[in-house]
Amino acid sequence: MSVTFSIENENLVCRFPHHLDTAACTTLGHEILGKLEHFDNNVVFDLSQVEYVSSAFLRICLIVFKKVGADKFSIVNVTPMVKKVFKITGFDQAMKIE
Amino acid sequence: MNGALESIIDQIMEKATLAAAVYSTLDQAHTDRIVQAVYEAGFNARVKLAKMAYDETGIGRWEDKVIKNVVATQLVHEDIKNLKTVGIISEDKERGIAEIAQPMGPILAIIPVTNPTSTIMFKVLSALKTRNPIIICPSKRAVRCCAETARICYEAALSQDAPEDCIQWLTQVTREQTQALMRHDKLALILATGGGGLVRSAYSSGTPAMGVGSGNVPVFVEKSADIPFAAEQILISKTFDNGTVCASEQAIVVEETIVEDVEAEFSKRGAHFLSGEEIALLEKIAWDKEEKTMNPDIVGRPADFIARKAGFAVAANVRLLIAPLKGVGAEYPLSSEILAPILAFYVAKDFEEAVKICIDLNYYGGIGHTASIFSNDDEKIKRFSLLMNAGRIVVNTPSSQGAVGGIYNVLNPSLTLGCGTSGKNITTENVTARNLLNIQRILWRRPNLRLTQFDMSRYLDESQDAKTIEREFNRNY
Repeated sequence: MSVTFSIENENLVCRFPHHLDTAACTTLGHEILGKLEHFDNNVVFDLSQVEYVSSAFLRICLIVFKKVGADKFSIVNVTPMVKKVFKITGFDQAMKIE
Repeated sequence: MNGALESIIDQIMEKATLAAAVYSTLDQAHTDRIVQAVYEAGFNARVKLAKMAYDETGIGRWEDKVIKNVVATQLVHEDIKNLKTVGIISEDKERGIAEIAQPMGPILAIIPVTNPTSTIMFKVLSALKTRNPIIICPSKRAVRCCAETARICYEAALSQDAPEDCIQWLTQVTREQTQALMRHDKLALILATGGGGLVRSAYSSGTPAMGVGSGNVPVFVEKSADIPFAAEQILISKTFDNGTVCASEQAIVVEETIVEDVEAEFSKRGAHFLSGEEIALLEKIAWDKEEKTMNPDIVGRPADFIARKAGFAVAANVRLLIAPLKGVGAEYPLSSEILAPILAFYVAKDFEEAVKICIDLNYYGGIGHTASIFSNDDEKIKRFSLLMNAGRIVVNTPSSQGAVGGIYNVLNPSLTLGCGTSGKNITTENVTARNLLNIQRILWRRPNLRLTQFDMSRYLDESQDAKTIEREFNRNY
């Protein structure tokens, strides 16, 4: 299972599978960056199904955050465990994480 | 540092060094006699010192300060009185190891304005039990009650032939003097309890330090909790000494299915839920936006005093102000640590969301300190605990009293609560006399027979991988 994309209220919503390990993120990163080539609106990462994030996924978040900018990037529906990961990394200081 | 100050500091440290040398020669029985005398003198002065602290600082309630003094003397003494702290404290002939307890040397004790007399008695007993002289550095706002506490302890210690100058105290406190003491090369350890800036100074002084971080304690009332009990316990905790304990609850988080019951139980017991307008007024006087800290003028003051100062009135029976908030962070000043009878209040749609709010609170100024949960669901208690970054997660317990230890659980009683490395502390433990010893180890020869019988030349053969070596190393012929 891979990332699914949808346009909702003109935002690009990316929904991820439950286990985002390094292997899964190798193709996933290219897919997302490919989508962003011709997209200029808000990008939303929906992590409602995600139970594990690897450092490769955190790097993807960072790349997308830098590419689209703080105002246009948000991460939503994180589980408590994933929220803690974003707290420890300090990403929550810069990114919108709900 | 000017010459006069340098001379004063050197004199203090010279006296402390001499005391340390003499103290290091005392045996366990003599040490325990000194500790017993100091405990009794401190305990017997518990009411007088509590009243002095209240009169001088205007913070808290003297009746609650008596209880703090009891914890710092009776419960602390109970906890340490049978502890071996002198000479050989353990020996295992079979394993060939013995442990020797050695004193550390002069300890500088930084004392907060919120708990002055109790913190001194706790630190003095801990230091004397471990044969360390102690220098008391009080808060500027509590110099007189600190001096009296130290004097009572010192006279009691001398009555049992304690080394002269084993307790010293400053009667005039300046930042320069404190920092000079912290940096002094004869100082062994700093026990720092106080504001973040002061604790950071202690850690950056170059002297080993045990500091305590600030708390921002979330209390999660989970839907399986006994709600009237939870409301009662939280009120007991948060109004104790008007909220001056750093482990006191700072924010309640409840699931929406029980919110009405929770509100009713708190209201019934003298809590006032603030309107949006009242929250705005309270924020202005409770939080200093420029200094990014609580306003010291409201620390440890009663709820009605704080309400009046903010510009609104509350009923005479109100003991606690509760502020329903929508978020955590700088935009919501009342989501920060405020040592007063003020609590933030959050409603979450379910368990997961409640835990996420608790994580936000925990990481917003209270990392490593304490978290609290009221629940009768063990699985949820454990899930909550695994996600908190807190040295202590207290369950169905008033967190002020629970975190301090010795009353509601098996934690060692202490007025110095470690917050772990996330809180920039070296330990998550409740600091006690156990942490004030240098433990030396005697190691008799007990060769590792597996290693001595192993053909060491195998290590030189690159073809032998880890699994092969491990199999041979552990072979049981």
